[in-house]
Amino acid sequence: MAKRRAQILYGPGLVLLVLVLALSAAGVSGSKEMKTIVIDPGHGGMEPGAKGKFGTLEKNITLAISFKLKALIEQNLPYRVVLTRDKDIDVSMDNRSAIANNNDAVLFVSIHTNGSQRKKAQGSETFFMNLNASDEETRKLAYMENTSAELEKQIEDKNKDEVKMILWDMAQSAYIKQSSQLAEEIQKELNIFLGTENRGIKQAPFKVLKGVACPAILVEVAFISNPEEEQKLIKDDFQQRVAAAIYQGLKKYTKLFS
Amino acid sequence: MDTRKVILLSVLVFLLAVLAFLFFKNSGRERIEKAEELPKPPVSTEAPAEKAMRKVTLFFLREEDSKLIPEERWIVSDPSAVREAEEAMAELIKGSQTGLVSSLPAETKLVQLFITKEGVAYVDFSKDLVDKHPSGSTAEISTVYSIVNSLAYNFKPIKKVFILIEGEERETLGGHISLDHPFLPDYSLISRE
Repeated sequence: MAKRRAQILYGPGLVLLVLVLALSAAGVSGSKEMKTIVIDPGHGGMEPGAKGKFGTLEKNITLAISFKLKALIEQNLPYRVVLTRDKDIDVSMDNRSAIANNNDAVLFVSIHTNGSQRKKAQGSETFFMNLNASDEETRKLAYMENTSAELEKQIEDKNKDEVKMILWDMAQSAYIKQSSQLAEEIQKELNIFLGTENRGIKQAPFKVLKGVACPAILVEVAFISNPEEEQKLIKDDFQQRVAAAIYQGLKKYTKLFS
Repeated sequence: MDTRKVILLSVLVFLLAVLAFLFFKNSGRERIEKAEELPKPPVSTEAPAEKAMRKVTLFFLREEDSKLIPEERWIVSDPSAVREAEEAMAELIKGSQTGLVSSLPAETKLVQLFITKEGVAYVDFSKDLVDKHPSGSTAEISTVYSIVNSLAYNFKPIKKVFILIEGEERETLGGHISLDHPFLPDYSLISRE
């Protein structure tokens, strides 16, 4: 029975998802403080992520790049930066998206280095969420995106907290368009700054993006499973260029909406 | 002979008989168990005449690009789609016969497979699929879609695939792709060459 639970919950999950978006939007508009960008260094602690031939661990590279990106943003843009982790610790997927939502993040950037079964796999790519929904589910989603304001009115205040927790499950589905734009801006800069093979922007159902209630992307910088690219990834100046590329992409994206 | 000796002797004879019985009984059972463990004859690319066979298309990787590459294979035809799907998964785990790269760790075992009336195939793999997985977004996408596409492409009753690990829903294989929902096949990942 437990195996079918997810399937049964899928429908109601879809029905409720729009509500959290409306609720979190209300929260953002209420504050006049500096807006927050959340950077998510992939993996950490017991979970090393992909491993390179020379022993490089994805979790260490993602943290190093994240620190550099945080510094660039805080020095040059009027945004507060929150990291989902600032040391080598385990952070659950749910907590990563919760950190974004609890800080009313306006942008969420998850940083990863890629891995493949193919030793020759190389290049950089930027992902945004794909729900892999059936046609029927896609129609339902479109309908809900259009009627979210209606739905919001129907929830009583006392139920809001509970609803918010449930709704995070699918929060990202209302931001797919913005997320794809953000992915595009960042991918362009990665191509310019890194000179790695352009693998383009892609959609996949990433656990860490699913519950994030703002435009959110996941950057896959080079392949740690490719010995040549692993050698690049461990270099400080390459990491600095990765941070600069993502920073440029973020800057251009925020300009589109200001 | 006195009565004592007679009793002692008959007890000894009885014990011997019991031991002999147990010995033959156990060895018989072992023989049966061993017979069941015998590996099935390898499936060749040519259809043998004795059994009805059917062709399936499995998806692997190759070094040259990141597309899924089809490889045809013969499996024993069975009226049950579940049985055939199990065979196809076993073949996928065995890996390519033409030198393609496998997207599943060789140690992986198929635990169970069933198909719901709604067309969702639940495929349950041993924990090796997680423990021996190289991790990485691209690696996880490859694994998921070589499984999902290999099932949905060959078996009409299968519309979506839910991947389980040792009977349980798993968050991800290695920290990237969410496994908390059934996957539709994505044929755009297949090489068009």
